Order: sequence, then C-alpha cells, then structure tokens
Amino acid sequence: MAEALLTPLQALLDGVMLGATYSLLGLGFTLVFGVLRRINLAFGATILVGIYAGSHWHLASGSRVVAMALTVAGAIAAGLYVERCALRPLASQPAVSSMIATFAVWMQLQEAVSLLSVSRTVPYPASAWMPSVEVGSLLIRADGLVMWSGAAVIMLALFLLLYRTRLGRAMRAVADSAEGAALMGVNVRAVGTAAFVMASAVGGAAGALIAGSQQQVTPYFGLWATVKGLTAMLLGGAGSLPGAVLGGLVLGVVETETLAHFGGQWRDLAAYALLLLVVSWRSRAARGRLAAAPSGRAALEDAL
Amino acid sequence: MLDVREIVTSYGMIRALKGVSLTAAPGEITCILGPNGAGKTTLLYTIAGILRPRSGSITFEGRELAGLSADRVVARGISLVPENRLVFPHMTVRENLIAGAYGRLPRGRREVDADLESLLTRFPLLGQRAQQPAGTLSGGEQQMLAVARALMARPRLLMMDEPSLGLAPMIVEQIFEIVERLNREGITVLLVEQNARLALGIAHRAYLLEQGRIALSGTAAEVGANDAVSRVYLGITGR
Repeated sequence: MAEALLTPLQALLDGVMLGATYSLLGLGFTLVFGVLRRINLAFGATILVGIYAGSHWHLASGSRVVAMALTVAGAIAAGLYVERCALRPLASQPAVSSMIATFAVWMQLQEAVSLLSVSRTVPYPASAWMPSVEVGSLLIRADGLVMWSGAAVIMLALFLLLYRTRLGRAMRAVADSAEGAALMGVNVRAVGTAAFVMASAVGGAAGALIAGSQQQVTPYFGLWATVKGLTAMLLGGAGSLPGAVLGGLVLGVVETETLAHFGGQWRDLAAYALLLLVVSWRSRAARGRLAAAPSGRAALEDAL
Repeated sequence: MLDVREIVTSYGMIRALKGVSLTAAPGEITCILGPNGAGKTTLLYTIAGILRPRSGSITFEGRELAGLSADRVVARGISLVPENRLVFPHMTVRENLIAGAYGRLPRGRREVDADLESLLTRFPLLGQRAQQPAGTLSGGEQQMLAVARALMARPRLLMMDEPSLGLAPMIVEQIFEIVERLNREGITVLLVEQNARLALGIAHRAYLLEQGRIALSGTAAEVGANDAVSRVYLGITGR
C-alpha cells in the first residue's frame, strides 16, 4: 500500500476492519474469563492448531471452504484438550495455577504444530473472493471487508445466543453468580465447558478470517493472537462482552493510525502504551470508588 | 413433607452437621434459629443438593432426596432463596425471573411466560423495573426479586436463608409479610433467620441449631418461651 493512501480516514477504516477480528479474539477471552474466572493463555495456540489443520487440508485438496471449517473444528478440538489438561483438573485451585498450566499447554501445542507441519511458515487460502473497491479517495480492501463482515456476523450470532437462548442466559447467570445459578438448577460445570467450546469456535473463526487476510502463518501466530485478544479484553474492562468488542475496535484503530502517522515500527508500542494507560487509569478509578464509599455507607446504601 | 434424618455433612475434615434431624410439616412455616457457624446454611445447601451429606437421609413427599443434584431437587419442588440473595446483577429483572424457571424451559415456555407476567403484577415494584439490571435494585428489591425468582420454579417447599440480612426494619417487615402470604396460599416454608423475634412471630414450629446439632425443638411458642432462647436470641434479660 502506498504511503499516500494512508490518510487518517483510510487508517480509521482499515483499523475498524482489522479491529473487528481483535474484537472476536477479545470475546473469546471474555467468555472464558467471565464464565470460568480463568485466563486461558493457550487461546492463541488453539487457534494456531486450527489454522495449520486448515492450511494442510488446503495444500492437499484445495477446498477453501472446508479449510476454513476445519480451522474452526481444529480450534474447538485443541480448546477441549486445553480444558481437559489445564482447567478441569485445576478447577478447585487458585486461578493462577490453571493460568500457568495453560501456558505450558500453549508451548506444547506450538511445538507440536512446528514439528508436525511441512514447513514453519504455511500458506492459507485467501478469503477475499471479490476485488477491492475504491470509493472516492478511500480504498476498501476486499480482505478487510471480509474480515469486518465475517466478524460482524459472528458477533451478531454470539450475542443472539447469549441474550436470547436458554444456554446463553445460563452462561451469563454463571458469570454473574455461579452459586446462584447452581441453585436455579444450572449445571455449572457443563455450562463452563460449553462456554469454553464457544470461545474456541469464535477464536477459530477469527483465525480463519485473519489467516485468510494475511495468507501465510507462522507458529508465532499463537503468541500474536493471545496478546491481541488479551489486550482487547483488558481495554474493554475485563469481563464485559460489549467492552471486548469496543476494546478490539479501539486497538485496531490505534494500530493503524499509529502506522499512518508515525510508521509501522511504532504500531505495537502505541498499542501497549494505550493498554498501560487504560489499566492504570481503571485501577485508579476503582480505588477512587472504594475511597468514596466506606463500608458503613455501602451497608447503608444496601439497606435502603 | 420434608423429613431430615441424622444428616452428617462435612467440609473436608470438619463436620459441620453432626447428625441433624428435623421435619417441616406441610402448610407450615418451620424456622431454624442459631448462632453464626451453627450449620444453618450448610443444612439448607445439603437439602438443596449443592452439598452432599456424608450420611443420613432426606425425604420429601416420601421420596429420597439425599445425593440428588441441585437441578433434580429444584425439579422435585424445593427452591432456596440464598443468603445475600445472589441475584444476577448484570441481567435484567425479567431475565433473573426466567433463570428461576431454568429447569422448566424450554418445554414449558408458555406456562413460564404466564407465571412471569403474574409475578410481575403481583410484585409491582419488580414489574416497574422488569427491564432494569438487577444490580441497580435496592437491597429490599433484590430480596423481593430473589423470592420471586425462587417462585418461578413453582416450589411446594420454599427455603429461605436469612432474608432479613442487611435490610432496614421496614423492608424486613414487608418481606416477612410476603412469606406469610405465600404460606397462607399453601407453600410450605423452611426459614433460617438470625432475627429470632420476627421468625418466631410467623413460624409454627422452631428448631435451635447449635454447633451442628439440634439443641431444642418444639412449637414456636415453646421454643420462644425457653429461658436460654429468650436470653440469647430474644435479648430478654432475667427478672
């Protein structure tokens, strides 16, 4: 892309299209964090497994649609493996234990992918089936449009599921109060597994969209996706689903705007500076709220 | 109706219930008094199927409950309004109520909707706030929501754990009026309460639970007349 094309408006457009996939990654983290109170560091690696499975299928047979479906299926399978190894056995342990365990499984999956793959870097079929469009001075990139619309459809489906179905309501109930949900007759463990599978499926779909845009993937994709997803979740307030969507979009726009104004080398630095700012601002705001409401007053407010 | 026989429940090595027996007769309000840590919540959680008893039996309407999972217990007709209410703060009042009917869905959708509407009319405060997140309600309104949510499962036995906790006296009275009204309509109530005066005022039978054992039982009047109870729980000093 020529430098001249990178006007602030163009960067905004690119950022929103890219950010929509970050939103999906953030939603994956948020689902698991909200329902199971766990951070799954192996999230990116499970997506990596799916992408490599899809890539190899594509190399062997050529079907693009099957490759994408296999990416989602592979991510779900790897996600279930993570849940079995790192979450279920440590369910009664402190959250940090299973976080360390997910780190170990991440390394395991990354090494397994590197060893079993035909080459370190693998190609992935392009997702764009139409040419890019120019509207005035704006270039709407076809792969970006596919990422954005794909992510929008997935988010819509996910939100419908969470807000309109019995399973989705059960998930939100468990996220709010696992004990309260259990008393209503919700099988908390089964709902947790369902949330994990759902997060993996969303991650796999995000992986297919991102890989379809980049058209080649290395084993470091796992690290990249974990960092982007965690950042999107934390920017959005850790636990809020709409927050994760917004966090992803903000992250995408900050990255592309930095790229447009200062150059690509500053892109990630700007994103992390923003993360640090938001996290420290949020913790200060939380302290402020605590200071303003001493326990006596909180109890009084509760009583009224 | 509910018959608890020699229940023993432990947390690891610690025995919280050391052989508790009690009966809740149909149509009555049975209250359980006792100090903090006596095992009152443990007892309700054991009946509700959240905790598993180590030994003993729990029968409800003649059928064994001990060992059943929480969803089965709810389906048998027993609901628990937990201590601290445990409403779902990010879900709307309406969604909280639907969650109470979790086990009846999706098959009984139409009946659940009808029950939902009638409860929203019955508790107009909740009706006005149906679309509001439960976390924005006051403590008293949340307690009301917790009761209504439990009713959504159509229980025949309603268990309540410390419904007065943290509420202003006027609100507590309202909640107790609701409990009495539900009881008159035929719901059997098992009530755990720190406020002994209020609880004995509406209960038919009472049990005193101390250190995981039943220390005293009888009609509410008998238990209220007991010297130790009046000293410790009703705050009446000797003449």
